[in-house]
Amino acid sequence: MTRPFILSAAIADPELAVPETAATYLNAADETGLDLLLFGEAGGRPFDAQVLVAWAAPRSQRVGLVATVPASNAHPFHVARALSAVDFLSAGRTGWSVIPEGAAEGTAEDMVGAARSLWDGWGSDTLILDKASGRYLDASKVKASNYEGPFFKVTGPVNAMRPLLGQPVLVLDDAAPIAIKDADIALVSEPTADAGATKSLLKVTLDTKVEDVAALFAEGKIEGVHMSLSDPLAELPKLAALFAELVAANPGGEGDLRARLGLPLASTASNQPDGAKIPEIA
Amino acid sequence: MMSNEIHLWAFLQGIGFYPTGWMHERARPEGVFSMDYYSYVAKLAEKGRFDAIVFGDQLQSRGAGGRTPERMAMPTLDPMTLLTAMAAVTDHVGLVATISTTFNTPEMLAERFGTMERITGGRAGWNIVTSVHPDTAGNFGLDEMPPKETRYSNAADVVDKACELWAAMDRAGPHLNQGRPVLVQAGQSPAGREFAARTAEAIFCPAPSIEAGIDFRNDMRSRISGVGRNPDGTRVMPGLSCVLGGTEEEAKANHKAIMDMASVELAIEYLSESLCCDLTSFDPNAKLPVEAILEKTLLPTADVGRMVTPAGEKGTSLRDFAMNFMLNPRGHNVFIGTPEQMADMMIEWRDAGACDGFTLQPSYMPGGLEDFVEGVIPILQQKGRYRTEYPGTTLRSTLGLPAYERAEA
Ligand SMILES: Cc1cc2nc3c(=O)[nH]c(=O)nc-3n(C[C@H](O)[C@H](O)[C@H](O)COP(=O)(O)O)c2cc1C
Repeated sequence: MTRPFILSAAIADPELAVPETAATYLNAADETGLDLLLFGEAGGRPFDAQVLVAWAAPRSQRVGLVATVPASNAHPFHVARALSAVDFLSAGRTGWSVIPEGAAEGTAEDMVGAARSLWDGWGSDTLILDKASGRYLDASKVKASNYEGPFFKVTGPVNAMRPLLGQPVLVLDDAAPIAIKDADIALVSEPTADAGATKSLLKVTLDTKVEDVAALFAEGKIEGVHMSLSDPLAELPKLAALFAELVAANPGGEGDLRARLGLPLASTASNQPDGAKIPEIA
Repeated sequence: MMSNEIHLWAFLQGIGFYPTGWMHERARPEGVFSMDYYSYVAKLAEKGRFDAIVFGDQLQSRGAGGRTPERMAMPTLDPMTLLTAMAAVTDHVGLVATISTTFNTPEMLAERFGTMERITGGRAGWNIVTSVHPDTAGNFGLDEMPPKETRYSNAADVVDKACELWAAMDRAGPHLNQGRPVLVQAGQSPAGREFAARTAEAIFCPAPSIEAGIDFRNDMRSRISGVGRNPDGTRVMPGLSCVLGGTEEEAKANHKAIMDMASVELAIEYLSESLCCDLTSFDPNAKLPVEAILEKTLLPTADVGRMVTPAGEKGTSLRDFAMNFMLNPRGHNVFIGTPEQMADMMIEWRDAGACDGFTLQPSYMPGGLEDFVEGVIPILQQKGRYRTEYPGTTLRSTLGLPAYERAEA
């Protein structure tokens, strides 16, 4: 399996919602080879990140677009649809980070469970799109979710497709912990054995010692780094320069975000291993 | 602004107006899952100088009686996502997202639209709907839909609260170029029209004939005056679909080709969705099963009864009823003819006061939109009835609406 050194960063600047500024930030993220860009973070979310990742989809080429979703101001039916669409528009580069942001305990976990069950309501190979026979999809591949959690009750099936990634890359942040054990990425202040995700990224600053990070990576305790940016245009090139050797020595794979970062869907997270397939039309 | 200018909106949900549209050789059903398609379509609408692109939306699980249709172009992707991505590749065209007041809180709406308004530089519009379909309730933890009166009184509260939140966002910055999104609505019932009169800056409606358009627009203008607003501050934009051809005969042949793609199976699925009851297991050649429909439908039986009882009494077969139903979808005006004839028809409607412009629903996508932009727009422009350049960058300026007045903090 691919084991790239992953570079991640978060921007919580309100100016990320202003097109001229957002364009420069996205260019910088792509140019510096950033793998994941979090739109907002725990304690800093001055915009609706789901809207901004939609804008970013055609304005970026490579970076993973991670929307910070507050459990207190969102509904899983809407979130599942919005992120499914972003994933198609970004050709499989979508992620989400669910934070409680004041919601009652358990709401964020319930949001994750409900959205996952909605995405899983569609089989990877549901679409047929055969103009000649008039068959658009295979109805036997679509299932009602009938999800019932403590906060959300969603019948489904959702009226949107399963994303290309199957499910967007789920990111946990130890600054706003939620009780999920099978996420994809955990942002951690200290390496820990039970971060709740396939891969952990160590939170760093520009003063972090590269040797320490290299040692943790070599030991398999972390898979890369994450930095919260306060001045993105100045910091992004520095972050990339600081870890350039580690990145060059440990490149990612080819394909969508999961393939590139070596993040297969966890079998506990989804009822099927693959993302949606769109049939080719002659 | 030119007087008697025609406004145009492009209503682009799915792969076209006709249920058969996705099968057309110039349709791209795979495109609705890729950014390339949305970039192409957004730039085409901007080339055609449309006021705005609109995506409708439904929150129900498609699947009357638990059966997901196989022949209809589904699913629908989230409209706000599609429109915001389209904004990223255009500079002027407005972007109107259909969002329900019944299943979103004012806080959710304010944050989503406020962000959209900022990142689009002031091109956002909100088509306010209250959601009708009974299969929506279960997706939001409800057993059944709230009654219409409740939905509309709630909608008024939600819009008021969202407007307060936008004013606060605007003050806090970054600034919202339009102050808030342009408010759009499509109510037909008395409660819906009353709500539109108080709220809407643009109104969609079905108007199958010029007379129906005149009646509706007059009714709305008097209701708007009645609540103390200026009726010139609201654009009435009836739906309009079309099938074009170089000659009238060619247009008719093109229309027939779309109709001929319709199978009985598709027609019965479409009818099942519209009546909220699964009819796919009934014999298409037998009489329309009126009793079973009235027993199984999730819609108000009085409404469904009006639709099906006359055919039932005549002994119409399920096949014939379903085919006829699909060929006349949703009571909109469908124009079949040459681009020249279409431009004349549009000018006639506008001059008769039947509308301020049209909400174009291409019969299939993107071919139907290409034909209109290449064929009809240049004629309207030559006749001096349609813009050749955008007047500004916000949707409000494109619509020729007065600037939003910021309330004192
Ligand atoms: C052109 C047009 C487009 C509409 N699009 C939508 C839509 O996308 N989603 C939706 O829930 N309702 C849509 N509606 C329905 C209206 O919101 C409204 O419910 C309907 O016109 C019936 O009016 P009433 O609510 O006053 O009964 C549309 C109506 C029209 C005329």
